[in-house]
Amino acid sequence: MGIKLYQEPQIENPILIAGWPGIGNIGIIAVDTLRGILEAEEFGEIEPWDFFYPRQVLIRKGVLEYLEFPSSKFYFKRTKGEDIIFFIGEEQPTEGGRLYAEGRKAYHMANLVLDVAEKFKCRRVYTSGAAVALTHHTTKPRVWAVPNSESLIPEITGYRNTVLMSDIEGRGGHGNITGLNGLLLGVAKKRGFEAICLMGEIPVYLQGLPMSYPKASKSVLEVLNYSLKIEANLDKLDELDQKVERRIEEFYQQIPLEIRGQLDRLKQVTDVQPAEPGPITEEEEKRIMEDVEKFFKKRGGGG
Amino acid sequence: MSQRYPIRIYKEPDLSRSSLVLGWSEDMSNLGRKVTCYLNRKLKGQEFAEIEPEDFFSLGGVAIEGNLAQFPESKFYTCQEHELVVFQSGSPGAEWYKFLNSVLDVAEHHCRVKELYTIGAMVSVSAHTAPRQLLAVVNSAETKEVLSQYDLTRDLDYQTPPGERPTLNAFLLWIAKERNIPGVSLWVPIPFYLAAMEDAQAQKKILSFLDERLDLEIDFSDLDREIREQNEQLARARSRFPQIDDYINRLESNLMLSEEENGELIKKIEDFLREGD
Repeated sequence: MGIKLYQEPQIENPILIAGWPGIGNIGIIAVDTLRGILEAEEFGEIEPWDFFYPRQVLIRKGVLEYLEFPSSKFYFKRTKGEDIIFFIGEEQPTEGGRLYAEGRKAYHMANLVLDVAEKFKCRRVYTSGAAVALTHHTTKPRVWAVPNSESLIPEITGYRNTVLMSDIEGRGGHGNITGLNGLLLGVAKKRGFEAICLMGEIPVYLQGLPMSYPKASKSVLEVLNYSLKIEANLDKLDELDQKVERRIEEFYQQIPLEIRGQLDRLKQVTDVQPAEPGPITEEEEKRIMEDVEKFFKKRGGGG
Repeated sequence: MSQRYPIRIYKEPDLSRSSLVLGWSEDMSNLGRKVTCYLNRKLKGQEFAEIEPEDFFSLGGVAIEGNLAQFPESKFYTCQEHELVVFQSGSPGAEWYKFLNSVLDVAEHHCRVKELYTIGAMVSVSAHTAPRQLLAVVNSAETKEVLSQYDLTRDLDYQTPPGERPTLNAFLLWIAKERNIPGVSLWVPIPFYLAAMEDAQAQKKILSFLDERLDLEIDFSDLDREIREQNEQLARARSRFPQIDDYINRLESNLMLSEEENGELIKKIEDFLREGD
């Protein structure tokens, strides 16, 4: 079990951008969209057998033809600016029925990804995920940036539409990034790589829905565009966003008027002055959260 | 990843070209366990090895079944005279690839297994009075050819539907293929209202194939008696409850029941068979 490289690309001090599925698939959509736009070339994979249960079997005329596993693939792209390695994992390796990766397997996979980063002398690692926030789906999602080193903070504060954890009201610079999008950041720190996790905001009432949230992926990509000095055209994400937006609106209209009224107030939380306390008080925030939770419990869904 | 070697061999078996039959404990109609227990009983299977559970099963307590505390078991038995190896286990909940490779390590390195057979059941909408079918999925065209002389359905087309995952038997068959071990996954469709009960006819269908294929010369008179008794019980249920009779009549005429009727038939049959008559 381990890494299988099909070729050894000639790349210089690349950056590595990794993405796995998570809430709203914000990270993986961002990373995979950029990979597609830049037409990055596949050059390797992490063998799946020890990490995953197969996801599909094909039997034709009584003969087992193939068994398909979730893939964990590496791609590369030489650009005028930065050379880039992409890592895209179709699933997070989980243990004990948990939703997100943790434990031995997750740690092992994070190390395998960083083994490739080390082999190609990557100078930085980016991961991406979701930040569940008290925002409204009609507002532009901000990007919460979490670096693994103090020295990266001045750079991050120069990114547009981006906030540090200390900028988020009531968090005091603290928080938690679940799953591999977070774990990779920590393992990178342990192994001496500088790394940043970029998390696109998703409204709290959408976090449990089985749909993607490309609007936040776009915010993440805008930050990456700026940071990596590339000019990837993100129109494709707008198209996807429009489709998803219609489904979100349909869902939103099903929320009882009283709760919707509370949620509508989240529209006032804009990205203009993210560091400032919003127009919603702490008490109101608590009530909105309680109402949303009650609604989802009644509905029998996640949330 | 754990580097522990999970296999314990108590006694090295003396086999030169054996066949391996595998059954999982918690499958539909308890088919895997019933078939492997039957083989062990009739052919005097001797336990010779096991796979330690700690890497593969949740050990956060014990399950209680039939008033008894249970513990995950993954055991190998040998029926030396017939060059047969029987593996009986619960379905592991983690490290499947390592677990299935451990099974094949024992099969290859300690038993010189030349082929393997897995046992599985699937839901059928037909009545219990229809003869049981036996379906086979193989891991190579050569193996399919070898099976052409038997009464098997060998042309199944299947793709895992969205939201579902392949079975452990499919996973094992694939690993066996990677290791060049011919493998056959045997499936018996079981009437849906017997899925949670035992189906002696389904057991007999698989056992008869294995008997013929592996030259086991098993006397099935006890199993035939069980089949007779089960059929008589079901006939009594039909005569006592006209509703059950009506539902089964309709299934016999290839008519579908509604979801509600399906549920009612399952409940009534299960209650009747559990309580006895």
